[in-house]
Amino acid sequence: MSSPYAEMVPILLMIATFAAMTFAFKLPVSVSLVGAAILGALVAGQGVPLRHLVEGTLGYMDTLLIIATAMVFMRMIQASGLLDTIAHHLITGFESRPASLLVLMMLFAMSAGMITGSSTAAVLTTGAIVAPAFIALGISKNKTGAIIAMAGILGMIAPPVNIPVMIIGGGVDMPYIGFALPLLVLTLPLAVAIVLLLGLKSIRATTIDRSLLPPTYHRQYGWKLYLPLVILVVLIVLERALPSIVPSFGMPLVFMVCALVAPFTGRRMNPLVVARDAIRAALPVMGILAGVGMFLQIMALTGGRGFIVSLLVGLPLGLLYLSIGLSMPLFGAVSAYGSASILGVPFVLALLGTNEIIVASALSLVAAMGDLMPPTALAGLFAAKVVDQPNYTRVLKHCLIPALLTVGVSLGYIATADFWDRFLFWDNRLALYGILLAITAAVAVVILILDRWVIRHRVATGEAQS
Amino acid sequence: MIEREGGYGRGWTAVVLLLMTGAVLLTASHSFLAMRVDPPIYPGPGVTHVVALSDYFEGLIGTPADTAVYILEGSEPGGTALVLGGTHANEPASSLTAITLIENAQVTRGRLIVIPRANHSAFTCTEPQEGYPQTYTIETPAGPREFRYGSRGTNPIDQWPDPVIYVNAAGQSLAGSEVRNLNRSYPGSPSGNLTEQVAYAIVKLIRQEDIDISIDLHEASPEYPVINAIVAHEDALNIAAEAAMFLEFEGMQIGVERSPANLRGLSHREWGDATDTLALLVEAPNPAQGRLRGQTTAKLIVEGIDPYYVRAAQRGLLYVPFSAEGHPIDERVGRHLQTVATLLDVYNSYTNDDIVVAGIPTLSAVLEQGLGAFLAPPSGPESGL
Repeated sequence: MSSPYAEMVPILLMIATFAAMTFAFKLPVSVSLVGAAILGALVAGQGVPLRHLVEGTLGYMDTLLIIATAMVFMRMIQASGLLDTIAHHLITGFESRPASLLVLMMLFAMSAGMITGSSTAAVLTTGAIVAPAFIALGISKNKTGAIIAMAGILGMIAPPVNIPVMIIGGGVDMPYIGFALPLLVLTLPLAVAIVLLLGLKSIRATTIDRSLLPPTYHRQYGWKLYLPLVILVVLIVLERALPSIVPSFGMPLVFMVCALVAPFTGRRMNPLVVARDAIRAALPVMGILAGVGMFLQIMALTGGRGFIVSLLVGLPLGLLYLSIGLSMPLFGAVSAYGSASILGVPFVLALLGTNEIIVASALSLVAAMGDLMPPTALAGLFAAKVVDQPNYTRVLKHCLIPALLTVGVSLGYIATADFWDRFLFWDNRLALYGILLAITAAVAVVILILDRWVIRHRVATGEAQS
Repeated sequence: MIEREGGYGRGWTAVVLLLMTGAVLLTASHSFLAMRVDPPIYPGPGVTHVVALSDYFEGLIGTPADTAVYILEGSEPGGTALVLGGTHANEPASSLTAITLIENAQVTRGRLIVIPRANHSAFTCTEPQEGYPQTYTIETPAGPREFRYGSRGTNPIDQWPDPVIYVNAAGQSLAGSEVRNLNRSYPGSPSGNLTEQVAYAIVKLIRQEDIDISIDLHEASPEYPVINAIVAHEDALNIAAEAAMFLEFEGMQIGVERSPANLRGLSHREWGDATDTLALLVEAPNPAQGRLRGQTTAKLIVEGIDPYYVRAAQRGLLYVPFSAEGHPIDERVGRHLQTVATLLDVYNSYTNDDIVVAGIPTLSAVLEQGLGAFLAPPSGPESGL
C-alpha cells in the first residue's frame, strides 16, 4: 500500500463495517467496534493482531477503572440518602432565588470536573448531587441530564485542571502556565448561558411542589451522612493543593475509599447489591471504551488515522475552522483526550502565529464536546444514568443547541484571538481585573433580576390558574 | 444460569467468553513479556568498562529501570562527555546512535560515557493506541540485527497510576501522563517515582563523573517545530551555534534553539542549571512518531518513507523537508553521529581538557555504506546489564 489513497481502504471499510453491524445487524456498539477493528487489520494485511487489540484496550485502563469506581461511589451515596438530602436543602434554601440557584448548581456541578479534569467524574459526583434538585425545580429528567452533562464538560475544561490543554501543550512544548484566565473567560459565561437556556423556561412555568421534594436524612443521620463527600473533597483537594507532599492516590482508589465509607453513614443498604448494580450499569460503556481502544489502535496501525489527520489539518484557513468544529468533536467520540492529542496538536501548529494559549484553550473545549458524541458520549451517557433515563439519546437531544453554541463560541474565540491576546494578557492587570469584576457584577445583577421575574411570573401564573 | 433480566446470557455463554478472553490475553501477554528481553549490545574495542546506572543511585538496583552505562576511557587524561540515547524509546535513532558509538568509537584522550537505553523500562512496552511494532531490524553485512521499539514513557507496569497533574521536581505542572517521561523529570528525586529516580541517577552521574559536556539524543515528528536542531542551555549556546555553523558548511542543515527558561524538567534546562555540564539536546526527524503518518510498520521506522508526509510537506505543514526518499534511519543516525563529533570538536577548541574520540562514523559514510556496516554482527560477544 504505497499510495496514500490505498490506505483509505481499511479505514473506510472499518467505518462501513461498524455502521452495518450497529445499525443493520443491531449488534452492541462494543462488538461492532471490535468487528470493524479486526476487519480493518485483515484488509491491511495485518492478520488478526491480538497483541494490538489488547494493547488498544489497555490505553483506556485508567478510564475504565475511574468509570467503574465513580459509578459505585455515585450509587452508594444515592443509596445512603446523601444525594436526596443535599438536593432537598439546596431547593429549600434557595426557594426564593430560583435563577440564582440554577447558576449556583451549575457551577457546583462543574466543580468536580474543574478539580479532576474528568467530565465523567463530574457527572457522577457533583452532577449526581444537583440532579435531583434540578428535577425538583421542575426541569425534566432529560434536560437535567443535558445540564449536568454540559456542566461536566465545561468543568473539565475550566481551570485549574484542564487535561486536554495539557496534552496539547505537551505536544508543542507549551507549559501549563497562563491558562487560568483565558479558560475562565471561555467557560464561565457559557455555563451561565447554557443553564439559563435549558432551565429558565421550566422553572418559570413550575411552582415547587413540596410533596415532590426529595426527602432529607439530615436529622436522622446528622453530619455523618456527608462523610463520603467530605473525604472525597479532602483527598482530591489535598492531592491537587500539595502535589509535592501528598502522594497521588489515583482517582479509582479515592472513589473506592469513599464508596466503602458510604454504607456506614446513612440509610441501610446492601453494599454488595449496590456495587453489583453500579457495575452492571457501567458495563456497556466500559465495553464500548474497550472496543474504541481496539478501533483506535488499528486505525493507527493501518494508516487510517494519519489519513484523516493529514486531510483535516491541510485545509485552507476558512475550511480549517469548519474542520476544527466538525472533526474534533467527532474524533472526541472515541476519546476527548485522543482528539486533543491527535488533532489538537496539529491544529495548534497549523494556527501558529495566533496566541497559542487562546487557541489551545478553545481547541480543548471543542475536543471536550466529543464527550457528547455517540457511540461513547461519556458525559451524555452517564448523565442519562444519573437521571435514570435508559435512552441516552434523549439527553443528548437537549445538548445539541448548547453544544453548537459552545463550538461556535470556541471557534469565535480562536477567530478573535488577537483581541483576547491584547485584553487578557494586558500588562495593566488592575484595569483588566476591574473590567472583569464589573462584568461579573453586571451578570450577577441580571441573575437577581431574573429571580424576581421568575417568582413574579409564577405568582401571576398561579393567580391566573386559581 | 445467570440472571436473564435485560438480556443477560446463560452461564455457558459466560464460560465460553471467559475462555476466549483468557486465550487472547495469554497470547498477548506472551508477546508483551518478550519485550522484557533486551536485544544485545556488542561493546567495541573502545569500551573500557561497563557499569550500571544503579552504581550512581542504589535505589535503582533490581528495578526494571536500571540500565548499562558504557565507559570509553582514553589512555591520556582529558575531559569527559556524556551521550544519552533512549530517553524516549520510540525515537530509535537516539539509542542506535549510542549503540553505534559503543561499538565503534575509540577514545584516545579523556572519556566518553554512553547510556544507550536511558529509560530502560520504556523499552519494555509500546504505547497503546499507536499501533507500533515491537521490533525493527537493521541489515548488517552478517545478517539482520533486531532492535526494540519502545514507548515514550516508562512502562506503566513499572510505574502506575499516573496522577491527574504531574508537578515535577523543578515545579513545572504537566499532564499526568508526563510523569513517566524521563525528559520531563529532571533533576529527579531519590524519593520520587521510578522515572524521577532515573533522572536523579543521571544527574548524579553527571556530577560524580564531572561531565564537561552532555548530549541528549532525540527524534521528533516532522510536524514539530523543533526539529533538525540543537537545543542548548545558555551556557552551551556558543558551542551549539559554532557546531551548527560547521555542520551547515558540511551540507547538513541544522538549527539552534535556546533552552526555554520556563520549560522545566527537560535535560537541556535542568542538567545545565543543576550541574556544571554544558547541556545540549539534539533532534532528528522521525516520521514513525508523527500524527500524520500512514501505515505504522517496522519498514517505516527504518526507511522513513511516508507518502502522507510527502503531501504534508507540499502543503507547507512540516518543519523539515520531506521528499519521496523520506528520512531513513541511516540519515537520522548519521546526522546524530556527525553532530556529536562536531560538538566534541568545537568543545575541544575551547578547552585544554580535550575529549578526543576516533572512529565515529560520519554522516556521509553512514549514508554511503548503510548503518548496518557500522553495527556489530548479530552473533558477536555481548555485554551489558
